[in-house]
Formats: sequence, structure tokens, C-alpha cells
Amino acid sequence: MLATLSFEGLAQQFIYGIQLGAIYALIALGYTMVYGVLKLINFAHGDVYMVGAYLAYYTCSVWLAGVAVEPHLMLVIMLLVSMCGCALLGLLIERIAYRPLRSAPRISVLITAIGVSLFIEYAGKLFFQTSPQPSIKESVNVFKDQIHLGRLEIAQSALIVLITTVVLMCLLWYFVTRTAMGRAMRAVSHDFNTAALMGISVDKVITITFLIGSALAGAGGMMQATSVGTPLSTFYGLMPGVKAFVAAVLGGIGNIPGAVTGAMIMAMAETAVKAFGYSNYTDAVAFIILIGILLLRPGGLFGAVTEKV
Amino acid sequence: MKMTRITSLWISAVFGLMILGCGCGGGSKDGSSNEGTGGGTALKGRELPTEPGNSAEGDTIKIGMIASLNGEQQPWGVDSQKGGQLAVDEFNAAGGVNGKKVELIVEDTNSKPEQSKTATEKLVGEDKVLAVVGEVSSGNTLPAAKVCQEVGVPIVAVGATRIDVTQQGGAVFRACFTDDFQGAAMAKFAYEDLKLRNVAMLTDKKLPYSTGLSDVFRKAFESMGGKIVDEEFYESGNIDFKPQLSNIKSKNPDGLFCSGYFTEVGPIARQKEAVGLNVPMFGGDGWDSTQLLSSGGSGIIGGYFANHYHNSEKRPEVQEFVKNFQAKYGAPPATAMGALAYDATKIVLEALKRVKEYNSKELLTEIANTKGFHGVSGTFDIGPDGNAQKPILVLQVQKNGFVPVKQIPFFVFQK
Repeated sequence: MLATLSFEGLAQQFIYGIQLGAIYALIALGYTMVYGVLKLINFAHGDVYMVGAYLAYYTCSVWLAGVAVEPHLMLVIMLLVSMCGCALLGLLIERIAYRPLRSAPRISVLITAIGVSLFIEYAGKLFFQTSPQPSIKESVNVFKDQIHLGRLEIAQSALIVLITTVVLMCLLWYFVTRTAMGRAMRAVSHDFNTAALMGISVDKVITITFLIGSALAGAGGMMQATSVGTPLSTFYGLMPGVKAFVAAVLGGIGNIPGAVTGAMIMAMAETAVKAFGYSNYTDAVAFIILIGILLLRPGGLFGAVTEKV
Repeated sequence: MKMTRITSLWISAVFGLMILGCGCGGGSKDGSSNEGTGGGTALKGRELPTEPGNSAEGDTIKIGMIASLNGEQQPWGVDSQKGGQLAVDEFNAAGGVNGKKVELIVEDTNSKPEQSKTATEKLVGEDKVLAVVGEVSSGNTLPAAKVCQEVGVPIVAVGATRIDVTQQGGAVFRACFTDDFQGAAMAKFAYEDLKLRNVAMLTDKKLPYSTGLSDVFRKAFESMGGKIVDEEFYESGNIDFKPQLSNIKSKNPDGLFCSGYFTEVGPIARQKEAVGLNVPMFGGDGWDSTQLLSSGGSGIIGGYFANHYHNSEKRPEVQEFVKNFQAKYGAPPATAMGALAYDATKIVLEALKRVKEYNSKELLTEIANTKGFHGVSGTFDIGPDGNAQKPILVLQVQKNGFVPVKQIPFFVFQK
């Protein structure tokens, strides 16, 4: 049955779709950037997102539990802690698990990536309590109000998530296109060996890539966890990770604008399915998109056309 | 570099395996499997077992218990074990029965239906228990009930509310109410006490518990003259409910019935507030966890749900139970399952006092004859359908916990 949607209803659904898309995009960027420079699908990326959510939780509910902090400032602190913590984790993963395998066959690295993912999920259980309260305190209630735009009523959380994501993406765009390190990154993704011969420190570029990708995933994890309120578990990143991976493939893996576009398409498709009352097909739609894109255009939407990063 | 078709298919296959492998289905009180809520006529399929079961030898009477001591349902399992042990200890301290003492043998089901089956097989086969108590979830109880029915050992389920649990056969009983009753009771509460007329429902499609409860609620609420203006669905494990809530909001309901578990109800409450849907929420006993308070935030405050009893009730049974539980374990029971397991075990122990010979067959007959049982969760009979005919306690979610607001006496809702 098709739910009858008013114009306002559609507009609202559209905004919720973009909000979800923003989260997917933040994760998908990490997949796509790492693939760009290393040709490696970093399966552990979804778990970095999970750690980001946990760090946000620990920041506000454990470490700063007794400190009276202004809600907005608290959110900023949580965001920074999550991003820094995840950047560090990304760095460690790269150093410990992937760097020793730099010259190994790609399949070995791929399997290592799965190992890292499972390791974080299961070893994480030792440190992270399952299902603690979600990473926001009652005092931080900026997420529960609405903003009225004419007859439109928009959740404030959607706007906060959107604005933060746009800011982060602008920073990323500036970094990739306007800085020397960004140029080096593009060079490495273009041709790994030649870039090395040209005097680019490839290891440094790879480190920076992991750092940035993981920090973005951490930001995504923090924002999603704080706005939806779902209890956390060490498998928190699994589904979003898969969805974001599909988004990256959809946009053409290795392509930064492609990842964002793919994430938006994915999130829109999911939200539309829910909005029209077929919510039990939410996950199915993600995989239908994946199968479709692999069959029809394995390189992704932007795969074969533009320069990769 | 362009991804080849093979590589990309390979990668997606790996992802698929990872999802399958993680076993992240979540802690559902009903496990999965089996269809909806089963038939309405309760006596159907309650044939008495043909096998004689076990007999007690020596001075010890063995009673088995299956509980989720590990896995997602651990909080329920741990409470079950404590409640059951407390009942047995009190029974033995009071002299046991006829010079015999009771021994409670607890087996772990690890929150999994398969392990529930093997645990029950061990209890009835190796330990030769006279009766089995457990489990909390319907999903874990069903395989155990089948085993017990086959060998003729009575089983008293602790918290399995799905209607078809006791339809497995005459050896299966339960100490809790059924979803048929709690759905109808909440409909009545919504219509008569909350004065709601246009209610929207949010159902977890993945849980038979939730779909069944929603069905009964819809039928009961509509039969009273209320209107279900919208029903939206999600699946346990989902985290974003804003699209559904936004749809619901456009239908202008005056209440929202959520039949799922606290794991999703909390986030729903929070997001309900975010989309500006300001109506009261209410639901079933799947809400029973204090986790609801933290995950629901201010959105869940003022919500109502059906439960079995509450620690703060003034009835002497409750006060004494909470006092003894606290004295023995250092803290009051965290969920309602401590009391339900205590009651379930006590049903078996009371029946033991009435039997002439200590074997499963006699015990089964006497459990079926339970009348006017004074339990922590109320005074009740075991009906001919094997279900406890007991009242529901409606609790309100308040800032610091759950507060009882109304007791709804047992009635039969004709679907």
C-alpha cells in the first residue's frame, strides 16, 4: 500500500534521507580513499565507525559525566574525541595489519582486513560493554527540538548532522585539491610506483589517508549514535559499513564525489522505501542496488570517467 | 583502477558471509522461527504425553531449569536462576516434602534455541529430573517444550508469552500471561483509561512476538470502537525510524502502540520527539528493561507498558520476595523474570506437596490442578490451556523508573 504523502511529508522525508546519506557518505569516503591509494577494501572501516560511536558515549557519559559542560560545547568535544580516537585507531590498523603486507598479494591483504574487522568486533567486547546507554546525556537536548520553516517541521538533529557533514566535506575537498599532501595523495592513487619514484613518501600518504578516512568515520559514528539513540554493541558498525561500502561501489570506488553521490542515492532509496510503507525491504534495497551496479556498471557511476583519488 | 566484475562479486560475497557470520540478530525475547501467534482455540493440541517421564529415587527430588546464563538474554537468564534457586532454598529450609529435599539443576541455553534443546535433553535424559522450569523467551522455550512433551516431563515456562507455547502439548505450562491477553488488556487500557480513539502502531516485522501482539491489539482496539489510523513496520536492528514516524505524524494519531522490544522502542521514543510527534506511547512486556530510560531519553517518559508485577507493589508476596532476594543476592531483581522464575519453580514445588508418588506423571497432573496459587506475580490458577490466568500490571515510565498505575484483571478476549 502506498502511503499517501503530502508535500510537506515528502519534503521531510527528503531531509531525513539526506541526513542518513550524510552519515553513509562519511563512512563511504574512508572506503573510497583507502581504495584509491592502496587498492584495498578496508573491511575494518565499519568497525572504526563503531569505535567512534563508543568514544562519543564514553566522553559524555563516563569521562565527562561529572563535568557541567554546555550542551553544544559537549557535542563539539564528543565529535573531536571521536574523530581523534578513530584517526589513531585507523593509524594503528594500517601500521600493524596492512603495512607488513604492502607487497603481499592483494587477496592476503583483503583477508587480513576481514581478520581485523572480526578482531575489533569480538575483542571489542572485552572493553566495550554491550548496550550502554547511547552516547548522549539528557542535558544535551539539542537533538530533540524541531525547526519550523513555514509549514515544514524539521528535526534539529537532521540540520546539525547535515551542517557538520558539509563542513567536514569542504575541509576534505580543500585538503585534496589545494594542498601539497592532497596532490601527493592524488598522485599515489593515480600511479603508486611512479609517485614513489617522483619522491613522494608513499607511506606517509597512506598514513594520512587512513587518518582522514577513519576520522570521518568517527564523526559519522558520533553523530549517528547521538541522534538516533540506539544502544551500542560491537556490531554497531556492521550494517552501516556494508551500506557505505555499497555506496562507494555505486559511486565508483576510489572516487570521492562518487562516494558522496552513491551515499545519497543509497540513503534516498532506503528512506523512500520506508516512507512508502515497505520498510521490511530497507536492507534488501541496498543489496539490490549493489547487485544491479555490479551487473550493469561494475566500475560504478563515475568509475570510468573522472580522475580517481 | 577499475574494479573487475569478479573482484567486486568476490568482495560482496565476503561481506555477505560476514553479515551471516556475526550472528548479530540481537537479543530477541522470542528468538525467531515459527509462524505468528498460532491459533486462538487454546485447548487444541494439548494431548497428554504418552511416555511416563522420570521418577525420583532416594531422598533427593531433582528439578531442572533451563536459563540463558550467557548470550544476549543473560539479564533474564541470571534473574531466572536466582529466582528459581531462591524458591528451592526456601522450600528445603521449610523441611522439603516428606523428608525429601529438592535439588535444582540449572543448564545454560546460551540464549539459543538449539542449545535450549540439548540442555533440556540432558536434564530429562541424564539427570532424570521430574520437571523442568524455563525458559524466558518463547523462541528458546519451544524446542524445550517439544522435548518435554515427548518424554512426558512437565515444563513450566517462565516468560514465554507467545500463544502457541502451551499448545505444544499437555506437559507444557507457563507462569506468565499470553500475548492474546496482554494485547487485549493494553487495548482496553488505551481505550478506557487513556481515552485514545485514533492509535497508530509500530511493529517489529522480525519478531513473531511483536507481530502477534500488534494483531491482537488491533482486533481488540477496533472491537471497542477505536480506530487504527496507521501501522508502520521496522525490523529489530534498524536504527533510523524517522521516515516511519514522520508518516505516522501525518495521520495525526492520539497515541502510538509499540509492540517491539526496548532495544528499538527507546530509539523510537527519542526519534518520535525529534520529528515532533507528541503523543503517548504504550506497549507490551518487551519494554521491561531500565535500558529503556536511557535510550528513550525524555521521549519515553509518560509511556505505559504491560508487565507481570513490580518490585514496589505493596502485596506481602512481593515485599517478602524482594526482601529475601535482596538478602540472598545483595540486590533486588533487575527484571520481572526473577519473580516469574520464582513463581514457576514454586508452582512445581507446591505440586510436589500434593503428589502421592514422586514421578513426572503425577507431578504433571498436579501442576495442571494448580488453583489459587499465591505467587509474587499475583494469585492465579493454571487454566485448562496451561496458561496462568493472572492480571496485568500497567506500568508508567517515569524519570527514575517504572511506576505501577493500574492492574487489569484477567479476562478472555474473543478474537
